[in-house]
Amino acid sequence: MDLTAALLRAAAARPHVLVASMPGGTPVRLALERELRLRDLPVALTPADADILLVAGPACPELEAAVERLWQDMPAPRRRAHAEDPREVGRAVANARAGLARRESAESAGAHERAGGEAPRGRHSGGGGHGGGGDDMDSPAGLPMAGQGPDRDGLTLDRLHVSLGPFLPDWPHGLTVRLTLQGDVVQRAEVAAPPAGGGPAAASFWTQPWARATAGERVQAGEAARRRAAAHLDSLGRFLAVAGWPAAATSARRLRDDLLGGASRESVSPRAARLARRVGGSRTLYWLTRGLGPLSAREAAAAGVAGPAARADGDVPARYRLWLTTVREDVDRLEERDPLDPARHEPPRGPLPTPRTPSEALSPPRTPPAELPAPRTPSAALPAPAAPSVALAAVLPRLLEGAELAAARLIVASLDPDPDETAALTVGTAHE
Amino acid sequence: MSDAAPWWSVLAAPALLVALALLAVAADGVLSARAAGRPFALSAVARPLLEVPRLLVAQPRRLPAPDMPLWRIGVVTVPVAAVLSVMVVPFGPFAVSGLSVGLVWFNAMEVLTWAGLWLAGWGPNAAFSLVGGYRYLAQGLAYELPLMFALMTPGIGAQSLRVGDIAAAQGGLWFAVWMPVAFAVHLWSVLAFGFTGPFAYPAGGDIAGGVFGETSGPERLLLSAGRWLWLAAGSAMAVPLFLGGGAGPWLPGWAWSLVKTVAVLALLVWARGRLPMIRADRYMEVAWVVLLPLSVLQALVPALVVL
Amino acid sequence: MNELSAAVSLLVVALAAVGVLYAVSWWSRVSAAPLSAPPFNSGREPAEHAMSRYHVRWYPVTMLFLAFDMEMVFMYPWIRVISAVGASAVIEMFAFLAILLAGVVYAWREGALRWT
Repeated sequence: MDLTAALLRAAAARPHVLVASMPGGTPVRLALERELRLRDLPVALTPADADILLVAGPACPELEAAVERLWQDMPAPRRRAHAEDPREVGRAVANARAGLARRESAESAGAHERAGGEAPRGRHSGGGGHGGGGDDMDSPAGLPMAGQGPDRDGLTLDRLHVSLGPFLPDWPHGLTVRLTLQGDVVQRAEVAAPPAGGGPAAASFWTQPWARATAGERVQAGEAARRRAAAHLDSLGRFLAVAGWPAAATSARRLRDDLLGGASRESVSPRAARLARRVGGSRTLYWLTRGLGPLSAREAAAAGVAGPAARADGDVPARYRLWLTTVREDVDRLEERDPLDPARHEPPRGPLPTPRTPSEALSPPRTPPAELPAPRTPSAALPAPAAPSVALAAVLPRLLEGAELAAARLIVASLDPDPDETAALTVGTAHE
Repeated sequence: MSDAAPWWSVLAAPALLVALALLAVAADGVLSARAAGRPFALSAVARPLLEVPRLLVAQPRRLPAPDMPLWRIGVVTVPVAAVLSVMVVPFGPFAVSGLSVGLVWFNAMEVLTWAGLWLAGWGPNAAFSLVGGYRYLAQGLAYELPLMFALMTPGIGAQSLRVGDIAAAQGGLWFAVWMPVAFAVHLWSVLAFGFTGPFAYPAGGDIAGGVFGETSGPERLLLSAGRWLWLAAGSAMAVPLFLGGGAGPWLPGWAWSLVKTVAVLALLVWARGRLPMIRADRYMEVAWVVLLPLSVLQALVPALVVL
Repeated sequence: MNELSAAVSLLVVALAAVGVLYAVSWWSRVSAAPLSAPPFNSGREPAEHAMSRYHVRWYPVTMLFLAFDMEMVFMYPWIRVISAVGASAVIEMFAFLAILLAGVVYAWREGALRWT
């Protein structure tokens, strides 16, 4: 009996899937997360644990290197699939699983990619050998040792450079924050320029009803409420997963999927209330997150942040509780048939920029160049309205510096910039 | 009370521990299937076990300049220490060894996970794993002392460090009844040395799995097994310490031990999903300023009683 | 069975099980050639080796922990003799614990248990 073949077939029944979501790929990611949840296919946190790499959304040239990096680091047996459209998700997953079950393909795929992948990263090839033994003292295995730098107390300490994003579990894919860590304390954080979307310029999935209403289409208020509730639940799902509460994250995501699937107010409302009680009422979660990432309404306004992050006027718990309140209000408005008034009901992350030249909308509150320290006091000149997520990403460095890695992740998750919004703008620039 | 165990108990005890761990995995599978809204199917019980073939076929991975020996030692230590810890846990009247310092033995094995997990974080030479390894040390500094007092409290009640004697000393009243703080701290700490649920801090999703991040193949299997084995071992230990061991009407001693262990295990598996991950930077203060004095006061109660 | 042989045989059994696991994996894995891969850095190349002098800010807690941990060494034998020695055993032990707890309170007031 062929042991390996039998084990491969068994393993293909429950592979772990590493998801790489592209700018503009939110609908595909949502369909994929639903598929994985219902079929009991766990999400892999790192390439080491992944069997299938699933790229969700239109291919993005700027992220190709990062996707390739993930793929090269996955041990065989492995498969790779790409779904550009939500309808392709089921088939992409099924094909990848079928491929995993076949011994020849599992082996050849691994072997081929290994041969192909070795060359471009020669500087790691020395790592194959004997633990610790290096090429020379300064850079064993072709990598330098950690350098030193002063910390905030004036001590000289080793520091590591770690990238959060573009691809990290429960992270807004595409956003990249480069951290300088001393121990697990963020000493410095820089937000990298967002990748341009690879697909056609389109509004983010979460702001579509508002974009259509602005374009003159008649959109029902209930539809916008449904979209906004789902957007907040999506953010909450990420936040709760980062907070290490997978059970609550699953509840939020199930509710999100049901809302997007068109569930009625009667079926959703009690569950939203239960989630709000369980998460919003959790003293433990409050105790764990209070005081993290304070962003007052004034600072938010100065940084160009409007929307819930500004209205929460406080720390991480203030922001997730506002999301929960908004979800409950929106769920009650699901059946409203009046036309959407963007002035009265804003999009999930704040008002959209008035359509002028997209480059103007993109520029003002961007992060300063890497060499300059982030300004402690925002300049008096009020920035022009930009996509809300651009402003959210821009406040990150100031909030992250000095935080612990765990706190930094919670802060990002509680602001949750939507890379699709920034990508939509950048695409617009590229097409002009 | 603990009779001399037959030679095959060195095989039976690990087998039983593994069976209990598998039961916990299955229960967790059912719970998460329900939470995820999947229609109930019997396969939910067995599906998590598909991890085993999945990890057995995986190609080995080689990171740049890993500390392979230390990494391996760390990964192997966690499950092996869990197996060794049950040596002193009586199952009904039998224990693999009725060691006179059984309590200290269990405590020592549990502390080995500190070394194991830190090495598992250090070995791969990866930033997120390293953070995970150090996270466990911080977590250990917080949970360990209350746990030590919680383990010692029944020992004071029985004036013995032999686990069998402690179980036998609860003839009239279970220690859980008049040492509730110690019992609660013990259960709470089982989640901590099992690095699971609210104490999954060293393996947090926010650092891409932490100590698990770079593991694949048999290493990952061993580390995950260690998690569930510790959950089972901690539950098994709670029975002789706090729940009267194998004492009970009608059924033989071993059956009562089994029933009580499964009940404690079920409680812990259920509790895993109830709370968010507790970060050591917030927990440290609570552990030292609230839990530790409470545990000391709890230890005072039996000390006064046995006088 | 005597205690040492019980412990050693249990260790042998556990290590044998680990060995069997490695053997099965060695036998059944799809490829024996290791995949050489850098550590996960969110899709980017790592900038340097992660092994470094790690800045732990809970260092003062380790000192506090050591003090208490040593105390446990006294407590284990003490358990066996409480009623034989009588009230003085309990008084002395808990007076000692009270002193240590006073130290904890002091460290707490100094902010040693907090670092964020």
